Amino acid sequence: MSQPMRCFAVLLFVSASALGAGPATTANDDSCDISLLPSATLLLPYFDVDFQSPSTTAHTTLFTVQNTTPQPQIARVTLWTDWAYPMLTFNIFLTGYDVQSINLGDVFARGVIAPGASPGTSNRTAVPRNQVSGSQPFQNDQNPHFLADAATTCASNPGAIDAALLAELRSAFTTGTISRPDCAIMKNVGSNNHGQDAVGYATIDVVANCNATSPLSPLYFNGEILFDNVLLGDYQHLNPNPATGNYAGGNPLVHIRAVPEGGAAGTVMATELPYTFYDLYTPGAAVRTQDRRQPLPSAFLARFIEGGLNSFNTTLQIWREAFAAPTACPIGYESNDRMAIADIVRFDEHENATYGPPCNLVCFTPVAPATSSQGTTTSNFPRPSISGDVAGWLFLNLNNGGSEAYSSARNYGSGSTTRGRRQSQAWVVTSMFAEGRFGVEMDAPAVGNGCSPAPDFSFRAAIGPAP
Amino acid sequence: MRCFALILAALLATTAAAGTFTAVKPATTDNDDSCDISLFPAATLLLPHFEVDFRSPATTARTTLFTVQNTTAMPQIARVTLWTDWSYPMLTFNIFLTGYDVQGINMYDVFARGVIAPGVAPGTGGTSNKTTVPDNPQNALPGSHPGTQPAPNNANPHFLPDAAVTCSSNPGSLGAALTADLQTVFTTGRISAPGCAAAVTDVGYPHANAVGYATIDVMANCDSETPIGSHYFAEMLYDNVLTGDSQDVNPNPSTGNYAGGNPLVHIRAVPEGGAAGQSFPTTLPFTFYDLYTAGTTRTADRRQPLPSTFMPRFINGGTNAFNTNFKIWREAFAAPAACPMPYRSNSNLEIAEAVRFDEHENATVVSLSCSTLCPPGRPGTGTAVAVSAANTTLWPPMSASGDVAGWLFLNLNNGGSSAYSSARGNYRFGTTTRGARQSQAWVVTSMFAEGRYAVEMDALAAGNGCSPAPDLSAKAPIGPAANPTP
Repeated sequence: MSQPMRCFAVLLFVSASALGAGPATTANDDSCDISLLPSATLLLPYFDVDFQSPSTTAHTTLFTVQNTTPQPQIARVTLWTDWAYPMLTFNIFLTGYDVQSINLGDVFARGVIAPGASPGTSNRTAVPRNQVSGSQPFQNDQNPHFLADAATTCASNPGAIDAALLAELRSAFTTGTISRPDCAIMKNVGSNNHGQDAVGYATIDVVANCNATSPLSPLYFNGEILFDNVLLGDYQHLNPNPATGNYAGGNPLVHIRAVPEGGAAGTVMATELPYTFYDLYTPGAAVRTQDRRQPLPSAFLARFIEGGLNSFNTTLQIWREAFAAPTACPIGYESNDRMAIADIVRFDEHENATYGPPCNLVCFTPVAPATSSQGTTTSNFPRPSISGDVAGWLFLNLNNGGSEAYSSARNYGSGSTTRGRRQSQAWVVTSMFAEGRFGVEMDAPAVGNGCSPAPDFSFRAAIGPAP
Repeated sequence: MRCFALILAALLATTAAAGTFTAVKPATTDNDDSCDISLFPAATLLLPHFEVDFRSPATTARTTLFTVQNTTAMPQIARVTLWTDWSYPMLTFNIFLTGYDVQGINMYDVFARGVIAPGVAPGTGGTSNKTTVPDNPQNALPGSHPGTQPAPNNANPHFLPDAAVTCSSNPGSLGAALTADLQTVFTTGRISAPGCAAAVTDVGYPHANAVGYATIDVMANCDSETPIGSHYFAEMLYDNVLTGDSQDVNPNPSTGNYAGGNPLVHIRAVPEGGAAGQSFPTTLPFTFYDLYTAGTTRTADRRQPLPSTFMPRFINGGTNAFNTNFKIWREAFAAPAACPMPYRSNSNLEIAEAVRFDEHENATVVSLSCSTLCPPGRPGTGTAVAVSAANTTLWPPMSASGDVAGWLFLNLNNGGSSAYSSARGNYRFGTTTRGARQSQAWVVTSMFAEGRYAVEMDALAAGNGCSPAPDLSAKAPIGPAANPTP
C-alpha cells in the first residue's frame, strides 16, 4: 500500500471507529432534546380561563412550579396574549424545595396571585428546620446568583393586582385591546373572539430578582435571567361545568433547559445551540443566544379521534413562536395572528392520507396565532378520508416559513423555511375528551429535537422522523 | 508528517464529536445522540403499568388502552410483551404496521375476549402484512404528495426472510387455553412450570384485576420470542420509528368515572440503525434491557437506560378531595432463569429512599434500604405497582403542618444487582451497594377527584438514565443530578 493510501486507510479507521459509537454525550443538560428534567424555563403552551362565571362552573387553568434544590429560587411568570404580547409578569419566590400552585382563575377573576399563601410566595417565608441534612432548605438569601435588590423586590410577593391593571388584563386577554398612554393609538395585541375567556400562554423563567421586567426588555436577558436548571412544573385544565366539560386534563409544563447551565445574571457564555427559545427577543444583544435556552421543534405527530363508540373528540393546543420582532409603538402584534402553517397531512387508521385544508371555491393556507386550541375537524385541518375511519394521526409541520427577525448560527433556510435563517418553533398538546367524564391530555411527539431543521413539504419529501 | 497531522486532526475532531473533548455545550445537537428520555420516535415503548378488570362488563370494566404509531413510510413490526408485576414475560404478540399506520390495542380485548385488535379478521386486516397499502393522498392526484405514500409491506430491508410468513396471520385469537392461562397468571400470579421441580410457581402478586406492564419493541419478524428467549436480541431492530400513548379508562361510576392518559415511555436506540442482531458499539454505560443480555454483548439492544430517581407532586385532600397514585415501573432484580424460576426475587424490591416535602418545605423521611435484599415482609414493591401517595408504609408520613399537598423525592434504586452490568465501573457508590450499577425506574403521577377529574403525567426525573443514583439525603443534598455525569 502506498503511503497516501495507508494514510487514507488509517484516517478512515480513526473516523469510523470514533464516530460509530453514540451517544455523543451521556451528561445531563448537554443536548437539544426536550425532556422531563429540571429546567431553567417552563412553558405553559395554552391557558383558557372563564373569569366571569362562578368558580363552581368556570373553567380554569392551574399550574404548579417546584424548586428541586435547597437554594431559594425566583420564578418569573409572564402571561402572553395569543398574539404573543407579554401583558403581565409576576414573581414567585420559592424557598428551597418549595412548591407553589397558581390558579389563573384567581389572577383573572379576583386579581390576586396565590391567595391565602401570604407570605408563601415572598422571601419572608419561614424556612423550616428539617431533620435530615440533605432535605434542609437554605436560608432565603442563600442563592449566590440573586441580585442585590432581590431582598427588597421579593419581599412584597404575592401582590394583589390593582383594579386598573386587572381591567387592562381582562381586556387584553379577551378582546385583545390595550391602552398604551405612550403610544399614539390603541392597538390590538390579541384576538377579540374569546368571548368571556382569557386565552394566552405563559412562560416561567428562573431569574435573579423580583422586578416586573418582561422578555421585551433587554434588561431581562442582560441582567435578570438566570441559567440554573432547577424548576419543575405541571398544569391542569379544569372544566367543572357539566354542560361543557365535567373533566380535567393535565400535563407537565414544557421543560426547557439552559445549555450550558450556570453563572450569574447577565453572564454571556458560549453555547453550541444554533439558536434559542428566546431568540426573537434578543435582537439588541451582542450574542443572540444569551438566554441559552434549548429551542423547540417545529413538526409534530399528533393522534386524533373524532367519534366512535365513546364519541371522543380531540382538540390540539398549539403554541407557536411569534413572527414579528417586538416593537414599542406601533405595536406590530397583528403579524402574530394568522401565521401560516407549512404543511398538514391527515392519516386515517388505514394509512389513507388527505392533504391540506378543504377547498371549496378557493383553497387557503392553514393559519394559527401564537397560541390556540383547535378541534381537529376545523377548517384548518385536512378533511377526513372517505374510508369512514374516525381516528388516525396528523403530521403537523408548524413552521411559519421563517422570519427575518429570527437569528441562527447556522443557516436553516431550506425546505419549508423560505424567509430568514431558520424555521419557527412550536409545541403541541393533544387533548381528547368524551361523555362529559373522560378527558386526557398529553404532549404530541415531535419528529426531532429543536436543533433539527423543519421538514420539507410532503409533496417533495417523505414524512418521517428528523434525520 | 502531513499524514500524522491529518490523523491528529481527525482524532481531535471525532473525539470532540463524541463529547469527551467538548468545551462548549451542548456536546451534540443531533437527534438520538444523548441519554435524555424525550418524546421522539423511538425503538422501544414502555407502558409502565396496566390494570384490566376483565370480569366485569365492558361498560363498567376498568381497562388500559395503548396505541402504537409508525412514523415512517417503511412498514414496521412492533412486538408487544406483557409482563407480570414480578417481570415474568407471559405473552408476546406482534403488530404489523404498514407505513404511517396507527393501531390501538384495548387490553380488555386481550384479557376478557382473548383477541388482539378485534374487528379485523385474522390474516386480512390491520395488524397483518396483508393490509392494503393505499395510494396517497386521497384528495389529490396520487403521487402528488409522495411524502405521504406508505412503502409496500415487504419494503423494509431490515425484515428477516421469515417476516413475510410470520406476519401474515396477525392479529390472532389467543385461544381458550392461553386466555385462561393469561387470566390466571395476571390475577393469581401462579403459572404451571412442567419442566421445573415445582410444578407451579409464583410469577406475580395475586390481584382482582390483571396487573402488569408492557414493552413494545421494533422487530424484524413476527415470532413469539420474548426478551428472555435466546434469539430475541437477534430479531430486535434499532430504528427509532415508533410513537405511542396509553389511556387508563375507568367507566365505573362507583370506583372511577374518569380516564387518564399519557405518552408511553419513548426509549431510543443509540446509535440507531442496522440489521437485526447487528452488534454496534455504543457509549451508553448500560441499556434498558441490560438484565436480559447476559449471554451476549451486554449493550446489544442499544436502548437508552431509564433514570432511578423522580420528584412527583402529590395532593391528598383539599377543596376538591383530590387523591394521588403513583404508577411505578421498576427494573427487575433477578436475572431470568428457567428452573427454578427466580421471580419471587422481584416481588419486594427495596427502595433506597423516599422524602416527603409539604407546601411549607417541611420534610419527612423514610429510608427503606437494606444491607442485603429485603426479606419478605419488608416494605418494598414489585416491578409494576400503583401506590397511593398517602401510603405511609412505603412513603414518609405527612408532616405535622396540616398541608395536604407537596412532592416526594423517590430514589427508587433497589441497591443494585449482581445481574446488572455497566461498561463503566464507577456507578457503584451512594445508594448502589451491589453489582455494577443502580436499577432503572419510571413513575407516572395520577391525580383524581370527585368521580370526574383525573389527570395523569410522567413524574420528573432528577437526571437522565446515565446518571448514577443519588446518595442518601443524610449524606448529600437532594437536587438535580450532577452535571456532567461520570
